[in-house]
Amino acid sequence: MTGAPDAPPAAGEVVLAARGLARSYGPVKAVTGVDLTVRGREIYGLVGPDGAGKTTTIRMLTGHIARAAGAVSILGHDPLGNGGAVRDALGYMPQQYSLYGDLTVDENLRFFASMFCLPRDLYRERREQLLGITRLARFTARRADALSGGMYKKLALACALLHRPRLLVLDEPTNGVDPVSRREFWDLLAEFVADGMAVLLSTPYMDEAARCHRVGLIHAGRLLLEGEPAAPLAASAHGAVRVDGGEREAVAAALQGHARVLALSPSGARVRVVVARGGEDEVAAVLQPLGARLHAVSPDFEDLFLARLHATGAVQEWTAPMAAGAVQDGTTPTEEASA
Amino acid sequence: MWTALLAVVRKEFRQAFRDKRIAFMLLAAPVIQMTILGYAVDLEVDRIPTVICDQDLTSQSRDLGAAFVAEGTFRRVATVRDPAAASRLLEQGTAAVALMIPVGFARDYARQIPIDVQVLVDGTDPNRAQVAMNASAQFLAERAVGVSLQRLSQAVAAGGAVRSLPQQRLTPRILYNPRLKSAIFMVPGVAVTVLLVITTIVTAMGIARERELGTMEQIMVTPLRPAVLLLGKCLPFAIIGLVDVGTLLAVGSYLFGVPIRGSLLVVAASSILFLFSTLGTGIFISTVSRSQQQAILGGFFFLMPAILLGGFMTPIENMPAWIRPLTYLDPVRYFLEILRGCLLKGSGFADLWRQFLALALFGVSIMTLSVLRFRNRLG
Repeated sequence: MTGAPDAPPAAGEVVLAARGLARSYGPVKAVTGVDLTVRGREIYGLVGPDGAGKTTTIRMLTGHIARAAGAVSILGHDPLGNGGAVRDALGYMPQQYSLYGDLTVDENLRFFASMFCLPRDLYRERREQLLGITRLARFTARRADALSGGMYKKLALACALLHRPRLLVLDEPTNGVDPVSRREFWDLLAEFVADGMAVLLSTPYMDEAARCHRVGLIHAGRLLLEGEPAAPLAASAHGAVRVDGGEREAVAAALQGHARVLALSPSGARVRVVVARGGEDEVAAVLQPLGARLHAVSPDFEDLFLARLHATGAVQEWTAPMAAGAVQDGTTPTEEASA
Repeated sequence: MWTALLAVVRKEFRQAFRDKRIAFMLLAAPVIQMTILGYAVDLEVDRIPTVICDQDLTSQSRDLGAAFVAEGTFRRVATVRDPAAASRLLEQGTAAVALMIPVGFARDYARQIPIDVQVLVDGTDPNRAQVAMNASAQFLAERAVGVSLQRLSQAVAAGGAVRSLPQQRLTPRILYNPRLKSAIFMVPGVAVTVLLVITTIVTAMGIARERELGTMEQIMVTPLRPAVLLLGKCLPFAIIGLVDVGTLLAVGSYLFGVPIRGSLLVVAASSILFLFSTLGTGIFISTVSRSQQQAILGGFFFLMPAILLGGFMTPIENMPAWIRPLTYLDPVRYFLEILRGCLLKGSGFADLWRQFLALALFGVSIMTLSVLRFRNRLG
């Protein structure tokens, strides 16, 4: 499983494997039974709402916190208690600010390079490269706390990439970053992944999940489903519709709690609805008196996620424990959703 | 490892000196503090404002009043006849001592019957009151002995027998600080305090800051070992602390004439041993603090008793009996004893080995405990 530290993993090689991760904070079960596998050349997205257990999962994977149960292997090493081997292979960017605000861009880079004992000429070479692709070269003398949100994140990414980790772990990397910088950030990631790096990131944004190679939906500390973002969409048995016309509040009120409506979300001035298979006519009939019509749209990731939450009862009772069966094999939505 | 250690040290220096206020607090503030304390904390008591209440108004009573203020401990601010006026001056704070000479002083003196001369002392400043009481008691006792001797020798002379009487006289000679200057006592104390405060608080805050600002999270995924991180964070402030001690000694000997009789090697060695205790305590405080604010409060909680129990201002012998054993748990006490002994008396390792041993024991145990705690907290 291990290899020379600088050799990129062959495509598909397992870089990170976790089994049965669990951790509680007092009586609150933050994470329960999470299994994860991340391979080389892939971006794995841990997707879920705030408080779903994304950060707790990530901190267990990086070895920042102890786990109550489960096993983690990064290239064959447990990050807990076996720091050295794992740390050379791991790049990590926490959600919060993690650089020295009173040091400049250059000083931060040099500091973290020294932590990994990079030789001077290698550091120079990588500094040039990273400053180039992050377009921070003009700001090397600027203090980190004077950077914009997007630039700060790019600097943090550069610091995490200096030692060429084989696994990069990012906790909500684009949180608080403007849309343009967000796109740039993703383009950067794509470059490094193409070179063989494995990426595990967490995000609450469904549009970002669509850019991952594989995603795991996490909610209330459990992994609800896992797979390529496109596959579950294609396999979805449900239809997504946009409701045109009618007043938004009235439409929402009429559809709330309807047996055939799996998910309801505002979309601009309209309402977006996930309708159970074969239920379109029933729903259309309800909306007729309101002067609203259904307009079929292609289901996106968020629709799927909301439908999935509905199926497990999580929408009604946000904190209720999930039925254990619902966690497994989530790639094909089951008929229980419409029952 | 050396690359990483050097990087941490460089980062700490850079952060400390980039912030001009921190740099000022680290380097200039100690000297300013010592100058002010050296001048302000004057424990010598003399020229105590005194009112002479002479109710007798005779040459004998005037003579007594003049003799009372002649020596310099007491300074006459008023002479009154009415005891009520004397009390008023005490109440107003114009005078701190009143010498009450009763009516019939000269008459009783001539008749050779015991006379009660009362001394009223304002006790709001216990130190000054103590000095006033001792000085007035000594004055009256000496005067009484003088009078008795005079009478005795007159009587003896009349009888024509013994010419002189054997007397026992006390001639104190004060060593090491003959003029009992407070500054000489204070400067080593200030040096100890400054070293203690800087290294403890700055270390505790420095580590708590990494945690508070999230940088610890990033450092933890680097191969940097916790012990190297701690060493790198402590070294710069140990160096700054030692520079401060040197500066304070130089300024102290220039401004206040503090002697440096012993070897500077003793000063340096004890400072380094003392640093183990203070840096260890700083690390310990950081392990029980999540924010810089908590670290400051934790530091304050430790520092105040450490300074006061160490004998910085008041001699440990003057503390209540139940407090005194606690002072043996205070590394400040040992460092202060070494510093005062070395600077003022010229004591060396041979005289101070017990204190050195105690400092070393404290330093090593606190440091070990703290480093282990720190590592455990990192997980």
